[in-house]
Amino acid sequence: MPERVDKQEIKSVRVLTPRLQKLKAEWESAEPQVYVDDTLLFTESWKETEGLPVDIRWAKALEKRLLECPLLIRDGELVVGSLTKFVRGNGTLCAMKPREILKMVESGKFDRKTSDISSTRIDPGDLKALREDAEYWIKNMPRVSSVNASVAFDMGEDVFDLLFDRGMVFEGRGVRCEMDRGLFQNYSAYGGGVAQVSAKCIENGLNHVIALCEKERGRMLAEGDPNSHGTAQFLRKYWLLKATIISCEAFIAYAGRHAELARRLAGEETRPERKKELLRIAEACERVPAEPPRDFFEAVQCVRLYHLVCWKESSDRPEVPIGRLDRMLYPYYKRDKEAGAITAQEAAELLGALWLKIRECENLVTIPREQRAAPGSLLPNITLCGTDEDGNDLTNEVSWLILEAMAQIKLSEPAIYIRYGENTPPEFLHHALECNREFGGGNPAFLNDKLGTQRYLDRGVPRSDACDWNASGCLGYHLDSLEHMGGGHNISQLKVFELALNDGFDARTGKQLGPRTGDARAFTSYEQVREAYYKQLEYFVPILRKFKLLSWSTEIAEGPMSGLRVAMQYEDCIPAGLASREGGARYPEGRACWLGSRGVVDLADSLAAIKKVVFTDKKATMAELLEACANNWDGAEELRRLCLAAPKYGNDDDFADEIYDELSRRVPEIMQAEPDPLTGKKPLLFIGAAAGHVGIGKAIGALPNGREAGSPTCDAACSVSPGMDISGPTAAINSATNDCYAYPYAGYAMNMKFSKSILNTPEKIEKLGWLVKAFIKRGGWHVQFNIHSREELLDAREHPENHKNLLVRVGGYSAYFIDLPPGLQAEIADRTMHEMV
Amino acid sequence: MSEGVVFNIQRYSIDDGPGIRTTVFLKGCPLRCPWCSNPESRSFAPQLFYRAASCVVCGTCAGACPAGAIALREGGIDIDRGKCVACGTCAGVCVAGALAVKGEKMTVERVWKVIRRDAVYYETSGGGVTCSGGEILSQPDFAAAIFKKCREEGIHTCADTSGCGTPEALDTVLEYADLVYFDIKHPDARRHAELTGADAEGIWQNLRRAAGRKIPIVARLPLIPEYNNSAEELENTARLVRELAPEAAISILPYHKFGESKYAAVGMEYALTGLRENTVGELEAARAVFIRHGFACEVSK
Repeated sequence: MPERVDKQEIKSVRVLTPRLQKLKAEWESAEPQVYVDDTLLFTESWKETEGLPVDIRWAKALEKRLLECPLLIRDGELVVGSLTKFVRGNGTLCAMKPREILKMVESGKFDRKTSDISSTRIDPGDLKALREDAEYWIKNMPRVSSVNASVAFDMGEDVFDLLFDRGMVFEGRGVRCEMDRGLFQNYSAYGGGVAQVSAKCIENGLNHVIALCEKERGRMLAEGDPNSHGTAQFLRKYWLLKATIISCEAFIAYAGRHAELARRLAGEETRPERKKELLRIAEACERVPAEPPRDFFEAVQCVRLYHLVCWKESSDRPEVPIGRLDRMLYPYYKRDKEAGAITAQEAAELLGALWLKIRECENLVTIPREQRAAPGSLLPNITLCGTDEDGNDLTNEVSWLILEAMAQIKLSEPAIYIRYGENTPPEFLHHALECNREFGGGNPAFLNDKLGTQRYLDRGVPRSDACDWNASGCLGYHLDSLEHMGGGHNISQLKVFELALNDGFDARTGKQLGPRTGDARAFTSYEQVREAYYKQLEYFVPILRKFKLLSWSTEIAEGPMSGLRVAMQYEDCIPAGLASREGGARYPEGRACWLGSRGVVDLADSLAAIKKVVFTDKKATMAELLEACANNWDGAEELRRLCLAAPKYGNDDDFADEIYDELSRRVPEIMQAEPDPLTGKKPLLFIGAAAGHVGIGKAIGALPNGREAGSPTCDAACSVSPGMDISGPTAAINSATNDCYAYPYAGYAMNMKFSKSILNTPEKIEKLGWLVKAFIKRGGWHVQFNIHSREELLDAREHPENHKNLLVRVGGYSAYFIDLPPGLQAEIADRTMHEMV
Repeated sequence: MSEGVVFNIQRYSIDDGPGIRTTVFLKGCPLRCPWCSNPESRSFAPQLFYRAASCVVCGTCAGACPAGAIALREGGIDIDRGKCVACGTCAGVCVAGALAVKGEKMTVERVWKVIRRDAVYYETSGGGVTCSGGEILSQPDFAAAIFKKCREEGIHTCADTSGCGTPEALDTVLEYADLVYFDIKHPDARRHAELTGADAEGIWQNLRRAAGRKIPIVARLPLIPEYNNSAEELENTARLVRELAPEAAISILPYHKFGESKYAAVGMEYALTGLRENTVGELEAARAVFIRHGFACEVSK
């Protein structure tokens, strides 16, 4: 049964204590600075380990950074562990993307005033060192190690270039943005698999993991290894276990260095209170991560260090999920609280301190904002609530505190995901929505607890493991410590659709990219259009599969396996002697065959417009419509109006929804038509979401749904196109959940927007809660609410056509914002600003 | 199948009764309250609705209008309401979506098709269906048929009425209502007639009649500064409700100007331009009056 939670106590905590206010303000006002020590240490180590097995080299490079990088403990900090030596530093590793970095160095674009890429300054000495480092890697990067190079070799450079880069049929950081990547280019979090803050490791301590490795190595030498002896794998296992030991010991030593520094600072400290804190920090860092934490304080410190070390190791795009933090921390919290050793206030401050440290981690951004999949997001996801294998709700007091800390500290990260189900306490839902209101932008998000577990059960995962999933990456999910999550490559459905409308010809590159599926201008039925699209998709899916398989295999063959990540999944990876990405994980299906697609909403709306305008109402011919699209609607405003007025997904309108429904069934069928050659099972699917819709939109011309060329596409799998949901939230949710579309996919998210004033009383918050309940009950996967800002209201005044669905409230009435008189609009906009902090 | 004139079906209504509701707004009202926030609800006939702020002044509508009722002018269009028959031709060609026809004849079956789509929301929220207006007692058979269908399907129903109609109409509508929202505009019969153009006595008798039906009643008081919010008026309102429907709960509706821009959109003038909104103190004082009289009373926010 759920424990009783003292809501009064939770609600009265003040997370931003004077200490945290000061630390936050220092960080916010500090100018970001490029931090080079880690990349130089990495390179130095790489030179030193020439000739050693690659897994050892990788571990030694981590070891060198952890043992020799400068440390920073700022005055007032309760939770320690800084990525850089600066208050606000940007880390980087030249080995991962030397060309991009050299480009930055040469363009001098580190200055925040001149760069649209990065807003970071750099010390002149560091700039010189960074240049040399980047040049070293460009010179010494073995060409064969480039995954893209070998795949391009196999597919033909020209085809590869067209499909992945210039043509952008396939998109995503995993392909396009890695064209210029270096040594272990896919060894970022996604490509390399998510390294998570592992609850199991924290609970058992790394000394335990080291002992297991030693034992296994001893066993291999004494008894041999039936699975691998006589093959190259025997040696690889032997070294991988050694790499694991090196990584764990380096991690422990890194904590130990913090302990030493804290003791030294304590010795110099004159304020008795601070001295005590520093000694407490030293004690904690002497204990964790080697041994299990003894109390809440040590557990929080331990989580911090895991996040940081995983980040350092991932090095390029670390997307380090923190997992089910409420579950992880609760036993310590409960014990301390019952012993009178901690109060909710003290725990809240520690969580706030942890949030600051997590948010502080930033890497140098080297690619333009719109090309990044999730600009501004570093995806340290925290998952709350959910159920255990017997269906008991796991919400606890730490879940409450975590939300409160998030709402009060108001940092863009970490993002909180709530595993919501019928057993989640109603008052917790209420608390979550209150925190959402305080926070504003879609945090926390709600995930369907039951559906998440069911997906694993259907893959044959036993319930005891299946119920332990958490949010990871960009709208993904995985099983903490048990699963490998490989990178995602997306097919741009809209690009494929564009090709279907143009007989496979791409006007943008002037090349025949797809098969000839017929001259769409001569199509005489809606079905012909639809089938041409499916034929194009059927052509491209195997190419994506081939790319995925080859790129994954090349990484396995050429790249290092991470000892640190073996440690994170020690129960399975140590006996197997395999890293999780090469099959060591208990559930490895995700390691290579995540196939993604993006753009289904615009596609459905475009097909609906064609069906309605051309084939039902016969107001235009296919030829006229395609010409209008080719001219970006220039001179075809009337036709564009008809297309915009055609039924749109998101309004519970059967005409549009039936098309969306059909796509939602057929596209997975096509993408899962062939089994994953590695597992023999259906490949896993995801829907690309987040902000990549801006990037792919640039490569897409005008579409029949009325969209203009180059503009962003709809932002998620089942969000409604901006301004197109004019029938209210229940209609939008109905469209998104008419059938269980989310089932085969990860990332099937719905964004909804509400005004802040719609949540200004407890009663109104309850009303939003009903929507969450109904959404989940109807089988929706992921919903999040944007509580809009003043900027949006102001934009709604300028461009009412984009904000038809914006609901506002004043007094006893809710209304569509655009229906209000100008004076009242201004008043509401102003008032909303006052409500925002 | 019963038919009625509807000017809006609002899904996700969260202010018209408990839970998430679908509110069916029937068109046509015998009252003329100057504070009315839905001027398009008064006329029983369909009306052309012109949102000037969205108009791009392209003139397409003027060219298309078969009645010659639209003239282009600087910065917008003029609609000759005498000529306009609300055929909707102009709305069909309007590029900017500035024109629409409000009001449509609908069968109960058609209304039901919208209502049933949100069944899961009624269930999870304890919501249901509200018939509002306009005035539902002006289309009693239609409102009753909607309610009857809902009751058969186990959906909660709420009748939102000004009470202006025959006792028979009231009985017909309330037969299948689970909750009544009953407006109280003014406690003085003469002033009531001046303000709303309707006889108060009949309305009050209807309130008494509704109170005799053993269904919960919420008496709703739009609190309009300078019109019905003096201490004396509030006191008399409380006494009036005490006498007619002693078990009713009271809901105070703060005055708002959300409807103002819609007056111009249907070619009407707003009489209360410049009227101030309620102060928080005033709302609380009004609430205190009803509490003192023993009512459960809330200010709608």
